[in-house]
Amino acid sequence: MKLMIVDDSNIMRRRIERSQQFEELELVGTAGNGVEAIELFKRTDPDVVTMDLTMPRMDGIECISLLVALKPEVRILVVSALADKATAVEAMEKGANGFLNKPFTDRQLNEAIAELMR
Amino acid sequence: MLHEQELKTFVEGTTSFFEVAAQQPASIGSPYLLEGTPAVHEYTGIINISGKREGVVMFTAPKAMLTVLLMKMQENDFSHETMRDLVGEVANTISGNARRDFGREFVISVPSVLSGQLKIPQKPGLRSFIIPINWRSHSAKLVVSLT
Amino acid sequence: MLLSGTDRRRQLITAGVGTVLTLVMGLVLFVGFRIATEMRANIAALQTASTLQTYPDDITRQLASLRDRLEARAYSGQALEDLRGTVRRFDRQLKELNATGYVHSQELTRALQLWQEYGPVIEPVVSFNGQPYVDSDTAGSTLSRDGRTHYAEVKRAQLFATDNSRTLQVQLATLATSLQRDASGAAARLRTLLSIGVLAALVLAAAAVWFQFTRARHERAAREAQDQTRDILMTVREGFFLLDAEYRIGSVWSDALTHMFGRKDFAGLTFEELLKNLVPASTLATATKYIKLLWGERAHENLMKSINPLGQLEITMDNGHGGKETRYLQFDFHRVMGPAGIKQVLCAVGDITSSVLLARELQESQDNANAQLDMMLAMMHVDPLQLVSFLDGAETGLKLVNTILKEPARTDAEFRKKLSGLFRELHSIKGEASALSLSSIASRVHTLEDIVSELKKKAELSGNDFLPMVLKLDELLAHLRSVREMAGRLTALKEGAHAAPAAALAAVPAPAPVQPAAARAPQQFARRAEDLVPTLHALAERLAQDQGKRFKLKLAGLGDVPAHYVGTVKDCLIQMLRNSAVHGIESPEIRQALTKQDVGVVSVAFQKAADGFELVFEDDGAGIAPDTLKAAAVRRQLVSEDEAAAMDTRTAMALIFRPGFSTQDGISMDAGRGVGMDVVARSVYALGGKIGVSTHPGRYTRFKISLPAGAASSAVA
Repeated sequence: MKLMIVDDSNIMRRRIERSQQFEELELVGTAGNGVEAIELFKRTDPDVVTMDLTMPRMDGIECISLLVALKPEVRILVVSALADKATAVEAMEKGANGFLNKPFTDRQLNEAIAELMR
Repeated sequence: MLHEQELKTFVEGTTSFFEVAAQQPASIGSPYLLEGTPAVHEYTGIINISGKREGVVMFTAPKAMLTVLLMKMQENDFSHETMRDLVGEVANTISGNARRDFGREFVISVPSVLSGQLKIPQKPGLRSFIIPINWRSHSAKLVVSLT
Repeated sequence: MLLSGTDRRRQLITAGVGTVLTLVMGLVLFVGFRIATEMRANIAALQTASTLQTYPDDITRQLASLRDRLEARAYSGQALEDLRGTVRRFDRQLKELNATGYVHSQELTRALQLWQEYGPVIEPVVSFNGQPYVDSDTAGSTLSRDGRTHYAEVKRAQLFATDNSRTLQVQLATLATSLQRDASGAAARLRTLLSIGVLAALVLAAAAVWFQFTRARHERAAREAQDQTRDILMTVREGFFLLDAEYRIGSVWSDALTHMFGRKDFAGLTFEELLKNLVPASTLATATKYIKLLWGERAHENLMKSINPLGQLEITMDNGHGGKETRYLQFDFHRVMGPAGIKQVLCAVGDITSSVLLARELQESQDNANAQLDMMLAMMHVDPLQLVSFLDGAETGLKLVNTILKEPARTDAEFRKKLSGLFRELHSIKGEASALSLSSIASRVHTLEDIVSELKKKAELSGNDFLPMVLKLDELLAHLRSVREMAGRLTALKEGAHAAPAAALAAVPAPAPVQPAAARAPQQFARRAEDLVPTLHALAERLAQDQGKRFKLKLAGLGDVPAHYVGTVKDCLIQMLRNSAVHGIESPEIRQALTKQDVGVVSVAFQKAADGFELVFEDDGAGIAPDTLKAAAVRRQLVSEDEAAAMDTRTAMALIFRPGFSTQDGISMDAGRGVGMDVVARSVYALGGKIGVSTHPGRYTRFKISLPAGAASSAVA
């Protein structure tokens, strides 16, 4: 399965990259904002996406709807510091499959991805 | 009047970042009132708050501390950009925590990052608190400046 | 609904019992009928066989009688007729017995065979129909020719019968016995069968009764359970209801909902309809989305729980008296799983209004404390000058409190060290406030003092424990500012436009010539330069006592500090004075050992300079070693080792003005003198001034602050 990471912070992108220990996941690209993410998505056709919500240009929520429209079976893990319930519900409703709060430990991340691919 | 719980929410947002991201808890030092303008360290992440309260909350940290923090996070890029990212993430966490606890009462901006000097806009009724954040041998500051 | 399976099973059992009963009874009756029929035939046969037994003898006797008659030339017609009847009857009955088919015994067969043998012998006798006698007058009656033949046949038959009748009779008797036996056997079978039938009927009836009984018991239990459920739903304080796949409320819900939502018609209501008109549209949209997500199995229960947006829902509803009422409800959702996935969603609603309101009231009561200010001020009859002097003193004390807080701390010991100084400052302010009957201030300081006392008792101190204190301190300072402002307004009202006090005017450079009293009067309550001297002396005394130090404070020229600099000058002096008292001036023992004067000297001088003012602060204490500062700065990676080595003393000393430098702990241990000096420097810079330091280890430390002449505003509130 192919993984795409969307986060405007380089550190977070690399953290997710580093800590993902799933052999069946192959990182196909990282994007720093929604517009970049859509472009990359069309090119690489990933199966799993980790998605930040607060990003410049296009925000995560909008990006999720567009990705789901492009590929309904894509699995999206929201990785965000926005911890309020309305945002989480909004993201899930738009088609996200999981929600991970920043900051997170490697274990939390692995569990969230495992849950996502179950 | 700013409430203890509000202050604690900001403090907890900050310390939880260290605890979770670097697996090493931060403790808070002796808090005090800000007189005049705050002295900031090299990197500062800021969130603007409006709604029930108005003002800013910022996390300002010296480069030395951020370097060690990045090492603990197994990061090996210590560029200016990465440092900015890092304080941005801390500010992001603080903002997320506040959104969780205060909900709609607070309107919280997307964090911005400054390296260098900063001015707090003076507003009537603004209360400013400095909470030192101690982590390993380093010390950063959480500045809460709200009406 | 849980009972439906059991019910169906019970119905099946009842039907089964009925069917088995019918089948068993049918079988018993059928077999019984067969046996009875057989028995009837048997008995008829038995009767026949018994009758037949006598026939062979009768035949033999009648043959003998016929012969006798023939020999006596008597009338033989009647005898022949009797014999013929007997033979015909016997033959018919024997054949009939055989024809019924119920008797298949050997005896019958043999009797039939024997009777067959009788046939040729007896048939000619019974079929004779001629005249046996010829009547002549001479000889009387004699046998005719036919008669002689007939007589011969009778004699032969009589002989045959005599020989065989016994055998035939025995055969028939045996047959009768056998038939008798069959009949009793059938009767016994019938008895057994009937017994079995009765027994089976009894067993089945018992089973039916038992099933009926348990069914009644189950029904009672189910009814009780239903009653209990209804009781629970009626009395429980939580609202409970089930949502189906169309987000509609089911037929069962708890009565508490009625009160919570002010309606009774819940069945069939959609969740959206339930909340409509009670919550804002955006909340309704989020709630609806969430409910939809609950039905999708994409997100597991824990994730769903963590994003539940209805944990504290504010709803506004009519209170039934034409007004609006706000309630806080807490929704909890649990999926009810069926074999084919989520069947229903159980929703629990709690009314948390009181706890939310309580928390809010607590908050508001704190907020409202300020509102009492006006009233309290109205009742105050404090001499304005005394009030100003108190406010200045209190503010100074609280600045010192903040200075104590500012001192970095990580360990319990470092935090604990602050407590006695904090307590002393607060206590002294409280005493003065009480003396002036300023109860609103005294009670606030008292709260702070209480916090300090509580902390003293705590086993392990950390920064978190000081958060309430810093908040209260801020609140108190704000309160003091309001009091100052209010007092100004009150005085203005009292004095009117004509009585502008000279002292206030003198302290304000170039006041506007015409100024309404209300705007001018508050100036009277601004910080005044002449108050600096007694404030600083009192402060020095307390500090010396606190630290166990002895020093003399020499002040010069402070009366000349322009009003707009008073605040900054005072703040700087408080910080520097504390640094000297805590870190600079050595304890009397050390001073003696160093052959210094027992009593240290701290001198402050303010004077006009060429292009403004100059403030010099100096103590004859331990001084600061530049190398210590350099080493600390290198350790903190503020400067590289090479840079440090290249620094001259002046540059090294300037490190203490670096932002954040002195408030980093570790450094404060080496260079306590620098505590808060970055803040002092910043406020000086903010006024467009400069600050410098010179020191000699073991001898003195001197700070020189230059301020420009024309700065019009103070940066420090």
